Amino acid sequence: MMQFTRQVGMGRNVAAALVAVGLAIAAPAALGQAREVKVGLIAPLSGPWARQGELMLKGAQMAIEDINNGGGIKSMQGAKLRLVTADAGDSTEKAKNAAQRFVASEPDMIGATGSWLSSFTLAVTEVTERAEMSILTLSYSDQITARGFKYVFQTSPTAGAQSVGAMPAIVELGRAATGQQLRTIAIVGDNTASPVSFLKPMREGGLEKMGIKLTVDEIFTPPLSDATSMVQKVRSIRPEAVLFVPTNTSDSKLILEKMNEMGLGRGRIPMIGNGAPLGMPELLKSVGKDLMEGMLVIVANWTQKGQEKLIADFKKRTGEPWMTQDSLSSYGDMWIFKEALEKTGVADRKKIADAIRTMDTKSGPANFYPGGRIKFNDDGRRAGAGIMIIQWQNGEPVTVYPTDIALAKPIWPKK
Amino acid sequence: MNAIVITENILQALAAGILVGSVYGLMCVGLGLIYGVMRVINFAQGDFLMLGMYATLYLFGWLSLGQYLGPYLGPVVAALLGAVILYGFGVLLHSTLLSRVTGIRVAGTESEGHYPQLILTLGMSLIIANGGLIVFGSMPQGIRTPLSASAWEIGPLIGQDLSIFLNKARSVAFIVSVIVAILLYLFISRSRTGKTLRAAADNPEAATYMGINVDRAYRVAFALGIALTAIAGGLVATYYPFQPYVGLEFVIIMYAGVVLGGFGSIVGAFWGGLTIGLVQQLSTLILPVQLQNAAIFVVFLLIILIRPEGLFGRNAERV
Repeated sequence: MMQFTRQVGMGRNVAAALVAVGLAIAAPAALGQAREVKVGLIAPLSGPWARQGELMLKGAQMAIEDINNGGGIKSMQGAKLRLVTADAGDSTEKAKNAAQRFVASEPDMIGATGSWLSSFTLAVTEVTERAEMSILTLSYSDQITARGFKYVFQTSPTAGAQSVGAMPAIVELGRAATGQQLRTIAIVGDNTASPVSFLKPMREGGLEKMGIKLTVDEIFTPPLSDATSMVQKVRSIRPEAVLFVPTNTSDSKLILEKMNEMGLGRGRIPMIGNGAPLGMPELLKSVGKDLMEGMLVIVANWTQKGQEKLIADFKKRTGEPWMTQDSLSSYGDMWIFKEALEKTGVADRKKIADAIRTMDTKSGPANFYPGGRIKFNDDGRRAGAGIMIIQWQNGEPVTVYPTDIALAKPIWPKK
Repeated sequence: MNAIVITENILQALAAGILVGSVYGLMCVGLGLIYGVMRVINFAQGDFLMLGMYATLYLFGWLSLGQYLGPYLGPVVAALLGAVILYGFGVLLHSTLLSRVTGIRVAGTESEGHYPQLILTLGMSLIIANGGLIVFGSMPQGIRTPLSASAWEIGPLIGQDLSIFLNKARSVAFIVSVIVAILLYLFISRSRTGKTLRAAADNPEAATYMGINVDRAYRVAFALGIALTAIAGGLVATYYPFQPYVGLEFVIIMYAGVVLGGFGSIVGAFWGGLTIGLVQQLSTLILPVQLQNAAIFVVFLLIILIRPEGLFGRNAERV
């Protein structure tokens, strides 16, 4: 009998403990006070684009630390953010699988940033859209926000918009420096989604409208084994400038070195590039300062005037020589999620997406994007997302355009 | 386009094709040796190429070979030293893993051990590439010498108009690749160890009856195959940036080269690699550059269609 009574007593204790634990777990959720809110990063952390993914990760991690050290999400009683990562790997198939795993295994994740390569972002968003999970992306391809998706937010100007926006600025820069209108140009680029989108408007009348004749049009499939044939064509036709749109470091190195080898490098033919890979620290390491000097690069985001403290902090904490657009944008993306969480006060995917959709701010996260405003149009493109132009000067890519936020003056290479 | 420009384009593409193709040839020889002797389809060969690149990079830096031997000889010595390390690694891998799924042990089993071999080499490939990412990091690396961005200019040949540029780093890689391939040929055809390799390749059981240690012959073939590809990797590293997944970019070319030359033929593997380099570069004269790798496989399919045993293969090699 005694034994029976004791068992009942123990049962009561166990039940009471379970109820207490249950209440402890349920209480914050019921009050909308999750102690930890998960945000994601789907980026290539292995494979040929792993370095770009690593730079994105460094930016996102730094933002998470800054947000948490600053008191977390105030509208959620100081809830902390936690970064969950998924490796998009080296193919669109792997990127899509990573997104599927992400969506299935992290049902409480509020949204994510990703996936660097436009082709990856196109695949990933096919999955996240169905799961109604917001994706903030810096990828350039126009196609990303041309499919009527509701949960994709493109913080960068699309490649097409970059192409339309940047060329007049560059042509003007050339005219101011040389006193002459640019008349002929060559295109050397790869056939991934972003360069294709960037070059399309130029081929379809954009260059012609500006009075520029396209004399060489060389598109390759990355990775390139040798750049001789392409650079040989540039050498034999001698355009006045080269539009250079690769997406990985090894191709960039092969082409730049071949240009130098054939007597076209070091500013003999001005190079105008597009995309973050042309501003990567390892490009300097593998190609060297001399071959990079003077190259202009059209980008969607870069460090600007007013971000000096952020830049210094990033360099100190990560050991990177400068902050690329990959780190800067993933840093800003985390702040956009924070802003949305402050507004909603709950970690709910759909509400977060609504908050991002209706966001219109010129402070907080807006400080990390050119144009200084976070507002997304109905198609998910950021309103007023303008281009930036950086230039390699003394071994570092610095912002030279727009002039009001530039960190240095542009130089037109002429030899 | 005038005749001089067309001639220059053709000669330049031809030169580039030979320079690129000779290094492909050496890579293919390494893979061809392993297949020719052991009949093992080694999916990890691209990853051994990657290890060769990193070995060359670190040896070049640690031993300050650039400082002592200069930009021409320094990287070559580093690549050869790297190959010695990879040879040792190959011996170790064969003793611990591959010997269990190759040789006499699997003779007469279903599929002659090919299924476990495929799974093992694929597994090795994944482990080496991902392990490489952990150890070496994702940052693309390269052996920096002034050679990769400079060339010997042949010409001007006709007036001031026709010049051929031979990239210095690629030219050094070409010379070393040809010398190593010739030395290997002499080793296989003249030396006693070479004879045991051929015997083990032709008929492992008969070779065993003749007192040849087939397991040892396989070990030498595997380690030597890896070392040769590692030399090619070290040479490529002087002009091509690499990261731990670089093997994937070359492994398909290696396979195409080996099949093109005739599976099992060492000389054929070299010519197969060279043919691929030539097709890759010459195709750009008439096709868009983005189709240059597609052109390789069109030529590959044509040769397989016309001559299924490959350029240098023999139909009844193992009879």
